[in-house]
Amino acid sequence: MNSAAEVSASPRDARSFRRRLIGLIAVGEVGVLAAMALLIAFFWLLEPAFLSERNIRAILNVVSFVGIIAIGQTILLVAGEFDLSVGSVAGLSAVVAAKLMTAAALPVSVGILGGIGVGALIGLLNGLIVVRLGIPAFIQTLGMLFIGQGLIQVVTGGYPVYPLPEAINTIGGTDLAFGLGWSFAFFIVVALLADFVLRRTVLGRNMYATGGNKEVAHLVGINTSAYKIGAFITVGALSAIAGMFVMADLGSGGTSIGSGWELTVIAGVVVGGVSLFGGAGTVAGGVVGILMLKVVQSGLVVIGVNSNWQQIAVGVIMVMAVGLDIVRRRYFIAGA
Amino acid sequence: MSITTPAPLFSATAIAKNFGGVQALRGVDFDVVAGEIHALLGQNGAGKSTLVKILNGVHPAGSYTGTIQLDGRPVSFASPADARSNGVGYVPQEIEVLEQLSVAENVFAGRTGLGTGMLVHQRKLEQRAGEIFADLGIDINPRAYVASLTSAQRHLVMIARAIVLKPRVLMLDEPTASLSGTEVDALFAVLRRLKAQGVAMIYITHRLPEVLAICDRATVLRDGQVAVRIAREDFDAETFIFSMSGQRLQRLFPEHAAPVGRPTALEVRHLTVAGHSGAVHGARDINLRVAAGEIVGLAGLLGSGRSEVLHGIYGRVPADGEIRVAGQSVSIKSPRDARAAGIALLTEDRKRDGLLFNLPVGANITIGNLAPLLRHGMVRGGLERSSILTAMRALNVKASSPQASVTHLSGGNQQKLLFARVLMRAPKVLLLDEPTKGVDAATRHEIYRLVVELAEKGVGLLIVASELEELIGLCDRCVVVADGRIVDEFGRGEGGEDRVLRSVTAAQAERHAIASQASA
Repeated sequence: MNSAAEVSASPRDARSFRRRLIGLIAVGEVGVLAAMALLIAFFWLLEPAFLSERNIRAILNVVSFVGIIAIGQTILLVAGEFDLSVGSVAGLSAVVAAKLMTAAALPVSVGILGGIGVGALIGLLNGLIVVRLGIPAFIQTLGMLFIGQGLIQVVTGGYPVYPLPEAINTIGGTDLAFGLGWSFAFFIVVALLADFVLRRTVLGRNMYATGGNKEVAHLVGINTSAYKIGAFITVGALSAIAGMFVMADLGSGGTSIGSGWELTVIAGVVVGGVSLFGGAGTVAGGVVGILMLKVVQSGLVVIGVNSNWQQIAVGVIMVMAVGLDIVRRRYFIAGA
Repeated sequence: MSITTPAPLFSATAIAKNFGGVQALRGVDFDVVAGEIHALLGQNGAGKSTLVKILNGVHPAGSYTGTIQLDGRPVSFASPADARSNGVGYVPQEIEVLEQLSVAENVFAGRTGLGTGMLVHQRKLEQRAGEIFADLGIDINPRAYVASLTSAQRHLVMIARAIVLKPRVLMLDEPTASLSGTEVDALFAVLRRLKAQGVAMIYITHRLPEVLAICDRATVLRDGQVAVRIAREDFDAETFIFSMSGQRLQRLFPEHAAPVGRPTALEVRHLTVAGHSGAVHGARDINLRVAAGEIVGLAGLLGSGRSEVLHGIYGRVPADGEIRVAGQSVSIKSPRDARAAGIALLTEDRKRDGLLFNLPVGANITIGNLAPLLRHGMVRGGLERSSILTAMRALNVKASSPQASVTHLSGGNQQKLLFARVLMRAPKVLLLDEPTKGVDAATRHEIYRLVVELAEKGVGLLIVASELEELIGLCDRCVVVADGRIVDEFGRGEGGEDRVLRSVTAAQAERHAIASQASA
């Protein structure tokens, strides 16, 4: 049975350009990038200050915090689960780290490790409960959102933890380049690393298989439980790191760190083409999605739109992005 | 034989239907009279379910040729709802109930307003459901929640649901598939009452003892045609078996001689497998031996436990017993263990547990097989691509490229892709569950040749297939499974389809007798 072996060697004719174009459009991130370019041009035309150095820096700075979590959320969504507790975990980890450094007078490094440990532990807990007990991720992580908020109050007594050791303020205040600091550098490095892992490693491939069809993944010998729990831990740890970067940026262990981030993160990665149903999407897409969301929010502020309308715009954009993604899949991927 | 037969209540004439070039029905005539239970028999693929789907509006008018008449007037159903409102009811084989609702609410599902408006009259519903149950002699509390019912009781609830509309024709698809002997007797009592009320019933089954017990007439389908129509006075298990298995379009199977004196590839001793959640059947005390280079078939009806044996060996469902691969005793707790031991499984349902629709063709082949394609933990793109192309070529998977989506491949190409996946690790033992299900004739033949090639390379193969002709033609040896037990075993040339059907029927008759004794 080795006749008809021309598996891929289709002749390069006039159609190959069209096919390549379709192939390009079919890559999720390209659509979002194009939409973002249009939006940037739009805001810039209305208000050239939109592309001022200060504004760009502000956008990138905010993106670096939320983006760190978006990386984890993308990985978890690819594995077929999601986490609503990321904001709470960020806040809780920050205040725990702050308390360890101040009230417990432990070294800064121990405080940071403690914060990451809290995030990873909550991720582990979420993962174990979802995977082993079969409680839906929606319920478990929503519950954890409230638990985390409550614990933030318990740990801090309702007051921000202040002042923090000088080392923390240094981390928050360092200007590496273009006014961007360690959080942005960390965000970029981790994003590149995670994108690479998902694209090129067995770990990544198995993650897609797990999120695509857990039963099939199990049958080909993949330990799906380990992958899902691992993804939960990753999200937890990255949320903790993001929370602590915000803390360093503010110079204080504020009780509202991370508040409301969960929905921003999910909206952003979904705009970037990451599927809520698992097994589809890339870190690059998720990150670009978050960036686009922040571009819109900032742009609306810059051109002077009322803040209520900003919220409405975010909602509309998210639904539109997913709608366009469905259309894109139907016409460009299915019909190609 | 039909001089005194009254005019049919419901009839189909010259029904033909094809699915993308495959002729599923070729001019079938079928009818049922009031107060009759008419059995519809035939092997898998004979066209039974296609006929039922046409009669019940699942395949709407226009998608087939031929005419359907109800009470002598032509009817055309656009949907199952349309068929229902015309008095043609259908009770599917799978239990479809709303577990969180009460029995009464399930009986009136979709009609809880009782035609009076917007409000649900809970008490009235319960009263009406109670009346229907009393009428049918069913002992179920209408207030009970369906979640608390056994699967037999759920089936009765589904029948009651169909009865609510006072159908004149009722189709029952394998109604006893999940029932025990005493439950079957209870169901039969209900059917006899409906019969006395003049309902015309079409009874689809694989179980000949039931046909002998309750049916008035039987129509046997074979290859999309009516093979024979038999009246009750001529009923005889032998006749059914003969007409169901009669010579069909000759298929050519590649030649393969059973290996002699080869070492054992797979040995299974006292394997007991749990049933899937909710299912009655698992498998118990299974002893099997497959030599290297041998093709062994597991024959049996749907629900006989044949797939469970494969799943038990592969670690997909919990199983007790001893499994030896190439003489080595292995402990298999998960598919991962089975793969490590050199066992591979091709699952029955490509869509549900075979393909990964979120990944392209190439990644679907290499998933789970990436270990040899790595350098420093990274997948080597070039090496992966070339091994995918090699695999695609070897199995003749026709796709535009490794990046193509699996969604648009034909069933045959999807199946070959899955073969490519399981063969990539060069298994010693290959378990195939319905390897030719839903594939075209050409691919079917390619798969037969592949199976024989693999056997010649020394792989031990254990195959489950519903089509007995295929199983018998392909396998060196057939092991017959019924009710989760091995009931017969014979080598190539020692028996045909009739032997399998006869062993299965004997096992069922035995079970029925035991159950009746127990209930008496």
